[in-house]
Amino acid sequence: MQIRVRLFASLRDAADTGECWLELAPGERGMDAKAALAARYPRLQDLVEYARLSVNWEYRPWETPLQDGDEIGFLLPVSGG
Amino acid sequence: MEAKTAYLTMKPISWNRLAYLERWAMQPSCGAFVTFAGVVRADRHEGRTVRALFYEAYAEMAERQLAYLVAETTARWSLDAVEIQHRLGLVEAGQISVVVVVRAQHRAMAYAASQFLLEGIKQRVPIWKHTHYDDGTSRSC
Repeated sequence: MQIRVRLFASLRDAADTGECWLELAPGERGMDAKAALAARYPRLQDLVEYARLSVNWEYRPWETPLQDGDEIGFLLPVSGG
Repeated sequence: MEAKTAYLTMKPISWNRLAYLERWAMQPSCGAFVTFAGVVRADRHEGRTVRALFYEAYAEMAERQLAYLVAETTARWSLDAVEIQHRLGLVEAGQISVVVVVRAQHRAMAYAASQFLLEGIKQRVPIWKHTHYDDGTSRSC
């Protein structure tokens, strides 16, 4: 299944892109997407451990099963205000 | 202005806009109206001074999270009106980065709700700042 990934702030800088697609097997979860992302962009490996997961614009736990076409975000601690 | 709105904007937030909000806020049934404006500080770090902050957002998600935050706060303190504006893009030191406007029946509710909204923005709305210094360097978060 195809998962759209969004990256921001330092994660985007380290990956040199704000968006990519991951190919995952049916039933794979947020944590599997994190591992796949780190495998594709080794420079993200340490940084992504500080991130939270979003699935379709909502915060979700890493155990969340993903669906084909989902949009996920790896979100470092926010700093608005 | 609608009674409860929250949005992101690339345009500078002017002090005139705040004056307009205050006039709008006059409502005899409500005894308290609190406006908070967050301003970019020219902090000094290791000999460098902050010249500006660049704000970026995961816009689709940020607007959704702002709407949840407004709904939760409105219900908790029975607010009559709320408006949040958050800047994106480059905001120079001394300019407004965020405005939170709350209208409520009583002072304590208005202050508490304003504080809760600000804390919520800082904790769960996906917005990040990049710091630009006067020596030309910058730092992402």
